[in-house]
Amino acid sequence: MTAGVRHNVSFETNNIVLIALVAILYSLFKMATVWRSQCAFARLFAGKTGQILNNATDLGTKLGPGSQSVISRKYSTYGTSPYITKIKEQYDYEIVKNPPEWAYVQRLLPFDTIPQVTPKESYPSGWVPPKEEAKSLPYFLARTKNHELPIYLNITYRGIRQITKIKRIEGDIWLLNDEIKQYLKEKNKRYVETRVHEVGRFIETKGDYVNDLVQWAHSKGF
Amino acid sequence: MTSALISAIKRLHISVVPQVRVYSSNVAAAATASANNLSITKKDWAFQPQYTKPREVWIENLDTVEEQKLGLFELHPLVFAAPPRIDIINQNVVWQRKIRFVSWAHTKTRAEVRGGGRKPWPQKGLGRARHGSIRSPLFRGGGIAHGPRSGKTHFFMLPFHLRLHGLTTTLSAKLAQDDLHIVKDLELPTDDPEYLNELIEKRNWGPSVLLVDDTDLAPRNIIAASDTLGHINIMPVYGLNVYSMLKHDTLVLTLSAAEKIEERLLHWLHANTLKEQQPFKLNQV
Repeated sequence: MTAGVRHNVSFETNNIVLIALVAILYSLFKMATVWRSQCAFARLFAGKTGQILNNATDLGTKLGPGSQSVISRKYSTYGTSPYITKIKEQYDYEIVKNPPEWAYVQRLLPFDTIPQVTPKESYPSGWVPPKEEAKSLPYFLARTKNHELPIYLNITYRGIRQITKIKRIEGDIWLLNDEIKQYLKEKNKRYVETRVHEVGRFIETKGDYVNDLVQWAHSKGF
Repeated sequence: MTSALISAIKRLHISVVPQVRVYSSNVAAAATASANNLSITKKDWAFQPQYTKPREVWIENLDTVEEQKLGLFELHPLVFAAPPRIDIINQNVVWQRKIRFVSWAHTKTRAEVRGGGRKPWPQKGLGRARHGSIRSPLFRGGGIAHGPRSGKTHFFMLPFHLRLHGLTTTLSAKLAQDDLHIVKDLELPTDDPEYLNELIEKRNWGPSVLLVDDTDLAPRNIIAASDTLGHINIMPVYGLNVYSMLKHDTLVLTLSAAEKIEERLLHWLHANTLKEQQPFKLNQV
């Protein structure tokens, strides 16, 4: 039963497609005839067929002598080639400094540096702004130039070794290390190994704790 | 007599007018306090320091042998208080040495050593090892296999941010070691080299001094004074590099040079640098 129904439907659609095809073909044929006649008309009036460009269907635009000299031509010898003359400007223009429209151009120019964040009530992307009170802590986690937290996951050895890296630490890095260790231990119910690089100002933790550490950083206001 | 009068008038002028920094074209100086001719400048950067406090330095002078403190100046911690990464400094020094180094060591291959076209002895029948040429690498006086060939460049490009952090960490290390001094300008009263020597000796600056100004043209007196002294060099801001900073014991920046360096480095630390990172990448598509 179902097969029969399907067949019926497809038959109808086939009909419609056929009709549409015929209509399109007819219109194309008509257009083609019109095009050809127009072309012949143009040739009749222009006289020199060689000067008509392929796409110059309307004869409104005239190609002046100034623009023609731009077209490169190969001369058989250097001696017979004409002297280079100043190319006639095809359009009249004047140079204006700082017009009122320049503001619209400036709007399109790329940023010189990455712009500051505009303060809002909430951010739909889930981005959390840093808080001011974080600066009174003995340690600090500076945001990157893209205003993101500098906490990254490094995966090596085909996914076997996962290391979470916290970069851009300022202030007391050892105190920060102790607090992170305590926090991760309480949260994950297990001891988490960390490694502190005092000169490079970063801490690495063994394991994927990116989300935990981001949560911790947000709770501290970084 | 007249010069003494003029200098007296100048001194009067300075004491009357509170010192306003004329160099601050890019960033506005927030406050300028003037108490007995000491200008204390609180700076207002485009990118404010977040946690680490700005570094404070004295503005010194060069027009007397004795050091005079003309004012107090703030330096951005991102540029002048970066952690001392000697690994990055080393990478920069190696890069600066290698970027222009071309090895001209050259050896001849077996094809280039004279002779050796004839088979020294028959292949078989003598009980000796088979050889086809007396210039093969096995022979004494033969060609060298895989030897150095001249005109070998060691050019490579250090990643953009390593170059950037090389500058910041070297500047910071210099400042932390008291080897960075800020002067108002490079004006000297005389063009005598002895004056410059005496000044450096008196202020306990290192024997070698690198002076950095933000213009290409230094004042005449300092050029004449440092011309015969090989260990005192002048450099424009755009020539500042890690190698020269390490080569000289003391780095002396003019006020405008320090501001320019700070402004440029802060700009690149906060800009999208994808275009700068691109050109020398090896795995480009």
